[in-house]
Amino acid sequence: MRIGIVSPYSFDVPGGVQNHIMDLAEALIGLGHEVSVLAPADDDAELPSYVVSAGRAVPLPYNGSVARIAFGPVSTARVRRWLKNGEFDVLHVHEPLSPSLSFLAVLSARGPVVATFHTAMTRSRALAGLQSFLQPVIEKITARIAVSELARKVQVEHLGGGAVEIPNGVAVAKFVSATPLPGWPGTGGALGFLGRFTEPRKGFPLLRSAFVTLAQERPDLRLLVAGPGDPDELYADIPDKLQDRVEFLGLVSEEDKARMLRSVDVYVAPNTGGESFGMILTEAMAAGAAIAASDLDAFRRVLDGGRAGALFPNGDAAALTTLLGDLLDDPRRRAELASCARTVVATFDWPSVANRVLEVYATAIEATDGRVFDDEWS
Amino acid sequence: MPGMWWVVGVVVLATVFSAYLGWTAQRVERLHARAQSAERALDAHLVRRAAAAAVVAEHGDRVELYAAARLALDAEPGDRESAENDLTRQLRALDLDPGDPAVRALIATSRRVVLARQVHTDLVRDALSARRRLLVRLLRLARRHPRPEYFDIVEPTMPDLPPPLTVPGPTIPPETPLPVQAV
Repeated sequence: MRIGIVSPYSFDVPGGVQNHIMDLAEALIGLGHEVSVLAPADDDAELPSYVVSAGRAVPLPYNGSVARIAFGPVSTARVRRWLKNGEFDVLHVHEPLSPSLSFLAVLSARGPVVATFHTAMTRSRALAGLQSFLQPVIEKITARIAVSELARKVQVEHLGGGAVEIPNGVAVAKFVSATPLPGWPGTGGALGFLGRFTEPRKGFPLLRSAFVTLAQERPDLRLLVAGPGDPDELYADIPDKLQDRVEFLGLVSEEDKARMLRSVDVYVAPNTGGESFGMILTEAMAAGAAIAASDLDAFRRVLDGGRAGALFPNGDAAALTTLLGDLLDDPRRRAELASCARTVVATFDWPSVANRVLEVYATAIEATDGRVFDDEWS
Repeated sequence: MPGMWWVVGVVVLATVFSAYLGWTAQRVERLHARAQSAERALDAHLVRRAAAAAVVAEHGDRVELYAAARLALDAEPGDRESAENDLTRQLRALDLDPGDPAVRALIATSRRVVLARQVHTDLVRDALSARRRLLVRLLRLARRHPRPEYFDIVEPTMPDLPPPLTVPGPTIPPETPLPVQAV
């Protein structure tokens, strides 16, 4: 199949949507399809071979953050040329309701259009107000995908349409093949945490208190932390004698993230709320770490009700301490959790996620007039 | 010459209005055509699902399932929804053997029914909302198209089977270190 994918955001800046698009495109190419990705980019930027530049991106504050996007007459001309030359069987746009290339592509296209909605937009009320103005654009979308339950809800409640929920994929192979950081996990037990530790909902204080308790009895237990934030704040509440057993990596690249997850015995997700999916858990599962996570609904779902990772009552530091102690003492239990996780994470692996996306493409093609459909992708 | 400007104004307005009219008519046309294609696709997938269910029924000597599949295939338009719902109920009660290729085919077709129905519902809604527009009603722009209907069935989902492992390499995590000695 010839597939055209449009990215609203520039690949110069890493981000969830951009990673999603690259992984999806690579998985589709791996399945034997022809893929072209249109994205804003500087003309001299280094891009993967399947990406076509739509011209320079301009920083624009949107939905609470600054997005680098392209919009305007020049971009419109490039979008139309790309559409004309591409002769795509299906057009797949991401975040089509932001003022971006995706919006322009939907405006300019006829035929099977699939749209993926990533964020549960906070300005969804404003969006609902614009609905009658956006209706002709929304109408051109044949099938919609939401990456999370929350994003789907926004669809249903504010834009009056359904959406198929297909979660983000995880590039399992990249995690399986990553090498642990030198000296990790070691023999004394290693715990891991990745995320913004200053953000209360990530629940880092729970892990810190569990670590402090456990480390008194286990002289070689270590903690590996990665994520954005000020190291002084991280170390502030950790007793002096334990500080050299906490290693802080700062903000890590995708490769280092995989290595970091491969470096720990137990990955801890003590989040107290605000998670709609738990991407990091699927990554830890792919890396083969045993997981200890709070029993949020999202985590429970991803961890298959607790089979693929141990759950503890949300917010309960004492329960977390006990659980971590048990897991550290029981390598067999860890191996069981990790092996079950490996089976569960196959559902989230990109090739299988891409297959589900292909089914949506096929459905969109069937529902658009003038196309002959046969079943070769089902 | 104020009269001249009147004429120009009226001509401009008439041009804009007729362009809008043409655009709206085209839009109504397109939305109905799409809703119709979606209906045909949904119909095709329902037939495939019933056929796949019949195959599973034959393999396992399941008489009731076979009857439900036949009824879904033969149902008249008015009874189709309840016949499909019956089939969905039967399918959900099944004890599935993931190794059976017929079962895998059945689950795959069910997934396609879910998608086709989702898209059909969305496209019917779009077409109906276009029909409700004042201009469309006044000028009866939709008169040549039959009114699209929702297909009202319960979500025909079936439990997902785990996909085959796609990543080569160890399925059991690498050697775990020795247990930590509590001191």
